[in-house]
Amino acid sequence: MATALDTVSAIERKLAALRLADEGSRLRTNVMTHIAWVPEEWVEAAEDVLAGLAERHPSRTIVLFPQSAGAGLEGKVESESFPMSEGLTICTDTIRIRLHGTSAEHPASVVEPLLVPDLPVFLRWRGVPPFGESAFDELIGVADRLIVDSTEWPGLPKPYARMAEIFDRLAVSDIAWARTSRWRPMLASLWPAIAKVERIKVTGTEAQAQLLAGWLRSRLDRSIGLEHEPSNKLVGVELDGEPAPFPPGDPPIPADLLSDELDKLSRDPVYEAAVIAAV
Amino acid sequence: MALAEDQRIENPLLEGLQLSRRPEPCAMVIFGASGDLTKRKLFPALYSLAYRQLLPEKFGIVGVARTEESDDEFRERMKAAVQEFGRDDFRDDVWEWLADGMHYVAGTAEDGDDVFVHIDETLTDFDRDRGTSGNRVHYLAVPPPAFETIVKGIGKHRSKQGWTRLIVEKPFGHDLQSAQELNTLLHKHFDENEIFRIDHYLGKETVQNMLALRFANGIFEPIWNRQFVDHIQITVAETIGIEGRADYYEHAGAIRDIFQNHLLQLIALTAMEPPIDFAADSVRNEKVKVLKSMHTPGPKHVVRGQYGLGYIEGQEVPGYREEQGVDPSSMTETFIAAKLFIDNWRWADTPIYIRAGKRLARRETTIAIQFKGAPHPPFEEAAAEGLRPNVLLIHIQPDEGVSLAIGAKVPGQGLQIRTVHMDFLYGGAFRTDLPEAYERLLIDCMRGDASLFTREDEVIEQWQLVDAIVAFWRRDRPSFPNYAAGTWGPPSSDELLRRDGRSWRRH
Repeated sequence: MATALDTVSAIERKLAALRLADEGSRLRTNVMTHIAWVPEEWVEAAEDVLAGLAERHPSRTIVLFPQSAGAGLEGKVESESFPMSEGLTICTDTIRIRLHGTSAEHPASVVEPLLVPDLPVFLRWRGVPPFGESAFDELIGVADRLIVDSTEWPGLPKPYARMAEIFDRLAVSDIAWARTSRWRPMLASLWPAIAKVERIKVTGTEAQAQLLAGWLRSRLDRSIGLEHEPSNKLVGVELDGEPAPFPPGDPPIPADLLSDELDKLSRDPVYEAAVIAAV
Repeated sequence: MALAEDQRIENPLLEGLQLSRRPEPCAMVIFGASGDLTKRKLFPALYSLAYRQLLPEKFGIVGVARTEESDDEFRERMKAAVQEFGRDDFRDDVWEWLADGMHYVAGTAEDGDDVFVHIDETLTDFDRDRGTSGNRVHYLAVPPPAFETIVKGIGKHRSKQGWTRLIVEKPFGHDLQSAQELNTLLHKHFDENEIFRIDHYLGKETVQNMLALRFANGIFEPIWNRQFVDHIQITVAETIGIEGRADYYEHAGAIRDIFQNHLLQLIALTAMEPPIDFAADSVRNEKVKVLKSMHTPGPKHVVRGQYGLGYIEGQEVPGYREEQGVDPSSMTETFIAAKLFIDNWRWADTPIYIRAGKRLARRETTIAIQFKGAPHPPFEEAAAEGLRPNVLLIHIQPDEGVSLAIGAKVPGQGLQIRTVHMDFLYGGAFRTDLPEAYERLLIDCMRGDASLFTREDEVIEQWQLVDAIVAFWRRDRPSFPNYAAGTWGPPSSDELLRRDGRSWRRH
């Protein structure tokens, strides 16, 4: 049963109470803390993706909803149980916090006491991160990995330049990049003919087009022209006017894409090079 | 679209890609295709690998057995087996991909060379039609008496191109001499690096996790030795009886069924030195050193037992001698316990107590590392009476995971200490089904990775120890049965530890 809590201490007490209420057959195991920064316009999409994620990645999930008005915070703590074999259930905590006023500007002080010690912290940021602003700067300071989806960003490729500035601060995953993962091995299989390509045309999202072009430029170490035909998913690639073969398999669903990114811990230098070359 | 690792060197687009780890094209020949192993383990494993797109893209299977049946009958029988014993949803498209490359050859030893000519023709067709490139995996899922004819037949008709690998199921002989004879037979036709002796225990995730636990965690290795470890207990307990396998079990007993292979492998993994890397021979070299260092136990350090009538889960079950096919005066042991020593710098004078048996009180495979007590607990004696030594308990099955027993203060006035457990349950942290051991082992063989297979010298060392124990068993005749089904073995098993002021850990 979720109850509104107005201080971090109250949230901590609630977490402790939930833990004490566990019966012997409920098992608490965490592999990470997952922070999600969800501005108002992303609430519905974020909840859809979060559903079922905790079951696959036992974690403490902290969902932060920044608010434009008011002061203080409003927290809710929920405990979810998932059945395991041998009559056991696995139990995870989800903390939802509405951040008002200064707490929205300085969220690290809210989040840090709630992190699971010694485990990696993943920060999922919906929409374009406010590069250079205090909320973003503070949260990437406590996270080990930032997960964005540049498909959600207007004005590409310009924001990639700002993101490249944080590569030395933490590892970054981009779900838009993950969505090209079926296509990259297929394009790589066109070696050596692809080595001479001058121009790539991508029918897909702006982010996919920019990242695939950036990837080719950075890998082949030369300039390659980009033509983008908008589509809400990646449905075709042409190299110098020749359609590339369609890769096998089905595109992964959003929850699977995020789930896969939560399994990664280290930096991805190929992605970083693609972002830099996309600008 | 499998991209080979060596392409990466010249193709810059491969950098950072998760390349397919699908093995090279190959054909698999299963001798014993009508047997239980093929039905319950091999085909469900092959289906699960196909389901995850881990089998070679160009692949085919030839089933060989005595039973006369057509390709379609073989496919239907294996389809039913996958539906009954598989761990994944049954998908028609996956099955059809697998079934499309399945053929059946009926034959027996009496058919002489004809059956191998027929197999060879089928494999040649595979090479031409399915692109299997002359690569072969031959799986001997047959009883040992059939090995010789099959090994000679495969050797005579082995492919002139590609690679050939042979998977041999245990038992690898029944004593040292027969193991050496088997090795001689295998080596007449195959190099050691072409022979994959399978002990499915090594394919279990939790057995491999033993290596991760020891060598990925800096906190354990410094205390993993005689200075800090009081003793080790390894239990491989089954509640089932012999399940209609009297013919096999009467000759094998617990010492050949469990001790010679699974138990000695668990001891080797527990006690081995850190390998320089995880290449097949690096790991196996370290395991062999442990086996070579094992002290042959004296008669007083080995206990054997045989179950009599008793109760399992509240139901009466017959004694071993009453099982179908068992000699009513059988002296075959269904339980073994022993106190073993490893004579090396790390483990000198540290006892390793092992026990394994059938019809025991519960099913479990565990490795318990019991540490020495705190040198001077500053508590009153009464305060610490609930305190037991620290134990690191590795659950191989069921409830795969690790737990650590530690002392903690009981809340309230005064200082009362009790033992509590910190538990890590595999399925609680990693929310994915653990692959079946055979899936891992089949794919490793196709990739040519022998890390989890038993090498010739390991087998020889194992049999030397078993033969020494069996030799002194021949000199006495214990009173069997000596434990009731559903208990933890004969009283002499408890006595084995009680003499040392220890006891089997509580369950």
